[in-house]
Amino acid sequence: MNPQRLRFILHRPWTARHWTKCGLVAGVTAAALFWREPYLGLSLPELVNGAPWIADLVSRMFPPNWGFLRQLGKPVLETIQIAVWGTFFSAALALPLCFLAARNMVPRWIFHTTRQFFNAARGINELIFALIFVAAVGLGPFAGVLALSLHGAGMLGKFFAEAVEEADRGPIEALRATGASATQVVTFGILPQVLPAWIAATLYRLEVNLRAATVLGMVGAGGIGFELYSSLKLFQYQDTATCVLVILAMVMSADYLSSRLRARILAT
Amino acid sequence: MIEVRGLTMRYGELAALTDVSLDVAAGEILVVLGPSGAGKSTLLRCINRLIEPSGGEVRMAGVPTPGDRTGLRRLRSQIGMIFQDHNLVPNLSVLKNVLTGRLSHMPTWLSVLQLFTDEDVDIALECLRRVDLEARAWNRANRLSGGQQQRVGIARALAQRPRAILADEPVASLDPQSARVVLDDLHRAARDLSIAVLCNLHQVQYARDFADRIVGISAGRVVFEGTPAQLDNAALARIYPGLNSTSGGEPSSRWNADVERSSAVH
Repeated sequence: MNPQRLRFILHRPWTARHWTKCGLVAGVTAAALFWREPYLGLSLPELVNGAPWIADLVSRMFPPNWGFLRQLGKPVLETIQIAVWGTFFSAALALPLCFLAARNMVPRWIFHTTRQFFNAARGINELIFALIFVAAVGLGPFAGVLALSLHGAGMLGKFFAEAVEEADRGPIEALRATGASATQVVTFGILPQVLPAWIAATLYRLEVNLRAATVLGMVGAGGIGFELYSSLKLFQYQDTATCVLVILAMVMSADYLSSRLRARILAT
Repeated sequence: MIEVRGLTMRYGELAALTDVSLDVAAGEILVVLGPSGAGKSTLLRCINRLIEPSGGEVRMAGVPTPGDRTGLRRLRSQIGMIFQDHNLVPNLSVLKNVLTGRLSHMPTWLSVLQLFTDEDVDIALECLRRVDLEARAWNRANRLSGGQQQRVGIARALAQRPRAILADEPVASLDPQSARVVLDDLHRAARDLSIAVLCNLHQVQYARDFADRIVGISAGRVVFEGTPAQLDNAALARIYPGLNSTSGGEPSSRWNADVERSSAVH
């Protein structure tokens, strides 16, 4: 086999404009990485020097304090309940609103207004909402439920609305042709078509909310996050390890259950 | 039963229908024949006002079609409609799909709670019996074959106890055998219940076999009206203009071949 010349092949020959664009993207990326104004202090030597301290911390976490499990029962239940209530309220909020956010159901200005509300609710992280609600209704799980509800409503509202937009127009026209009222058209023409997608989205939201609920406690909004945070503050690293393992178990089983259920629902 | 006078429909510059007039008597099957894009679907939708016509008049049993919402719902409840792609709600049972034909006769709040009277259920089952699908009542609609789904569509239209049925290319998506069954079911129901049927078709042979009378439409205008026996080559040339531009060959045999081929394509 004689040596081959290598050729650089893209989907079509690049012109000067392509190279200029490519250079521009590379320049902006480099600037974002290496602009020195906000000093990030990235340093490999510091990571290497810090390694023994990390090892020390991890070694102090072993063995996990299994006795601490008894105290975690209530926080675990609280975490699950925050997630369930948060999901319930977001679905309840998204349910009526989603029709106002479906392009094919309402005038454009209503569609845009509702979508912007969803975007705002989605754009702000649960933890930030939690901080605001802790200030409003005080420390505790209620603030966490409110935070998950509002953020989740934005997420579910968008999902629900997109399902409505994707519903087949044919059955809807058929129902209008029978002389059915608008409510009947929605009940019999749209709901049966979107319900599986809605349920799947809500289940997925429950899974995400459970993950979010495990850290809400760090800002004082209830759940197991509070135990994690305080054990760290009190240098009870073996308790911390137990918390981390429990959280891991919760999140993994929620993932598993929800993906199994969703697959079942969407398959029918 | 249905009287259409001077019906006109424009989309901006484009005239989809121009001065269309026709009558359908109770128990009569009138086939509207024409190529795709001739305005057949628009014509049907102007009759039950899924589309608001630009001009002309439509009368149901001598009464002009109303413009207000309640009047419109009452009008639509008297007119069953059958679609090319059957338009059943896929996730609902066959029976529930047929029951949607009863929705205009029942209070909204009861139907939202999925509550139906015995009478409505009996009517739905009777309509399923007419299309020989009573045994499939509890199957999900999308588990049925295309022909069976279209017959459920017929049952849904019959469940309205309609005075007229509008059928928009009911067999265009079906194989010839299923198409026969669907047209036979529709035919029998129209005769037995003396329903006025206005049916769009583009297959000439089906139109000949199925129609009491045929109206030919081309580019939004009525270009033929008569019995199937009167539908000769000259009439077909008016309905499907341009087909005769292919030169050579004996005209009449070319006609049928071309028309059949064009219907196979659509």
